[in-house]
Amino acid sequence: MKAQPTLLRIYFKMQSITYGKKHRKPIISVRDLYKIYKVGDNRVHALDGVSFDIFRGEFVAIVGASGSGKSTLLNMLAGLEPPTKGEISIAGKRIDRLSESELVAFRRSNVGFIFQSYNLLNTMDAEGNVAMPLMFRGVSRAERIRKARKLLELVGVLDQAKHMPNQMSGGQQQRVGIARALVADPKIIFADEPTGNLDSKTSMEVLRLLQRLVREEKQTLVMVTHDNSIADYADKRIRISDGKIISMDVSDSTSTMEGTEENKDAGLPGGDKDV
Amino acid sequence: MKFTDLLGLSINNLKRRRLRTFLTVLGVVIGTASIVVMLSLGIGQSESNKEMIESYGSLTTITVYSNAMYGPQDSSTEPLYITDDAIGDFTRIRHVTGASPILRYTAIAKQGVYEAYLSLQGVSHEYMENIPLSEGHIPPRDSKELSIIYGNQAINDFQNSKTGEGFWSTGETPDVDLMGRSVFIIFDRDKYYSQGSTDADGNIISAPKKYIVPTAGIVDGGETGYGNYSYGAYCDIELLKDKLKSIFKKDPIPGQPTNSKGKPLSYFVYDSAEVYVDDMDHVSEVQEAISSLGFQASSNMEWLEQSQDSMRMQQAVLGGIGAVSLFVAAIGIANTMMMSIYERTKEIGVMKVLGCDMDNIRDMFLMESGFIGLMGGVVGIILSLSISKIINVLYMQSNAAMYSMSAGDISRIPLWLLGLALIFAVLVGMLAGLFPALRAMRLSPLSAIRNE
Repeated sequence: MKAQPTLLRIYFKMQSITYGKKHRKPIISVRDLYKIYKVGDNRVHALDGVSFDIFRGEFVAIVGASGSGKSTLLNMLAGLEPPTKGEISIAGKRIDRLSESELVAFRRSNVGFIFQSYNLLNTMDAEGNVAMPLMFRGVSRAERIRKARKLLELVGVLDQAKHMPNQMSGGQQQRVGIARALVADPKIIFADEPTGNLDSKTSMEVLRLLQRLVREEKQTLVMVTHDNSIADYADKRIRISDGKIISMDVSDSTSTMEGTEENKDAGLPGGDKDV
Repeated sequence: MKFTDLLGLSINNLKRRRLRTFLTVLGVVIGTASIVVMLSLGIGQSESNKEMIESYGSLTTITVYSNAMYGPQDSSTEPLYITDDAIGDFTRIRHVTGASPILRYTAIAKQGVYEAYLSLQGVSHEYMENIPLSEGHIPPRDSKELSIIYGNQAINDFQNSKTGEGFWSTGETPDVDLMGRSVFIIFDRDKYYSQGSTDADGNIISAPKKYIVPTAGIVDGGETGYGNYSYGAYCDIELLKDKLKSIFKKDPIPGQPTNSKGKPLSYFVYDSAEVYVDDMDHVSEVQEAISSLGFQASSNMEWLEQSQDSMRMQQAVLGGIGAVSLFVAAIGIANTMMMSIYERTKEIGVMKVLGCDMDNIRDMFLMESGFIGLMGGVVGIILSLSISKIINVLYMQSNAAMYSMSAGDISRIPLWLLGLALIFAVLVGMLAGLFPALRAMRLSPLSAIRNE
């Protein structure tokens, strides 16, 4: 358990170098990221010098226990919280020094977000909720409804288009949430415990949907979870504890969906590595 | 974000909390209605005051008197009389559209046993054109024959010459028909009262000549109506001058001043003159110009200006009382919007995470509060129109209207007041919503992903 991470790190570094050079530039690049909260006289290091790269088309899970700093990391990647120190570049653009209104504009055109508790607007039907990010972009009503319906079909809940959120099951609501995250063609999608409020069967369905979207729609997805079995659906896992990356690993086969499925069926390898 | 989408979101949010929206709007309704009704009372008061003053004569008319007609005369210099030359001077003052001399002459009118002192006023054709008539017509401009317009109250001046009784002692309207039967006018009063006696040379004074002067018309107003022209008798000034000249020839005309040797003047001296000004705003300016020429000038405008000053004060107080209730309503709006923000913290956060501009969030809240103001304003206007109507109806039924000099509504709502009230209500709504809106704008998007 203690020897393995070192080996893994070396393995990953090699992988990362070859991977990056061979295929693409990183879409997310994090260097020496610190987030320090002051609690009374104490300084709490929520993030303590984190560096990593995420590439286009990857499904990455940030895994860690509660209080590990994984949520703080996600918040900073999505530009919801400024870092204390360090660099975050997304699609070649430094976002760690942007003002709040610049960050909003940045999110509007680059980022999709999937929430744990779905966070659909209760006053709008599924269609309206999915179309909302397009409304913020000033897209005409007819056009955004057309796009929203297309995405509802993609995530398999077109029949719920006219239903209000409280008329839908949790799984259906999360599918609507996923459609909303995709609707504006973002460069990256962030998901914060997307299955946290769902039962295991529905969780599996939602995760398979996310996998499929990454493959078929060539999306980049960064998911935060505390659950290793869920993290195993991802292509790459970044494990965090006490604000530090303790390991990164890549699934044996990242290029095919079948491979990932096999991994999962074969008893979730790596699932018990850090536990 | 499109304006229509923003508007849709705002209206949707208001619809979501119907009862609270309704109560907040109700506050604005009451605030708007109280301001409008209070101001309408002030406006009604000042307008009816203005109408009352106008009924005494036009506001653009200046009445000019000669100092020489009153007060001690300075014998060393020629007194400053209102003559044709002076009238010419008046018409040359800027903003003056015309000037009409008035020549007063007291004659005696007779019909049957009834006779009356007739205070005849020779006036210009322009002056006569302003007199409202109930019967007859204004004499045409080129008329060669003297004719008289009688005030509607003039009939009550006639007395029975045998009994000495008249309207003022008996209360009965004399049996005189000014339009139907001939009226005799005696211009030489001295001769009339001294007829039969002997003059200084011992000759018996003969009765003066009586003239039948046709009646041109009767001033509008009926037997009881009171107006500016009710008690007078009016005729063309040039025809009156010709008549007097032909009667008295070389003798001095009664009422006309004489020169230092006691001889009559070669020209007429008028008692007063009316000067017409093109606009109300220029009245005081012209009045000063006339005063500087050495004449006494007065106008209803002075009176109006003084009373309008005190009216404005009253209006400000009334409007202030109304404004207090709108202020209370504004606090209500602010409170509703703050509550709304607390409830929607998560929703606002989600919108921010999904890329809704901060300005859009602010505008959404401003629109909501502005919309509350608009709805309250519209309903408030309708309410105030009905309240105003009720006040006017009740006032007309009450005794107060009978004693009042001016007829008409005491609560008046001009169109500009409605427009202003609406704009004001919307502005108050938006202003009350400004602080909550800015607060919503600055809410952290993190609250959206915090899971409770």
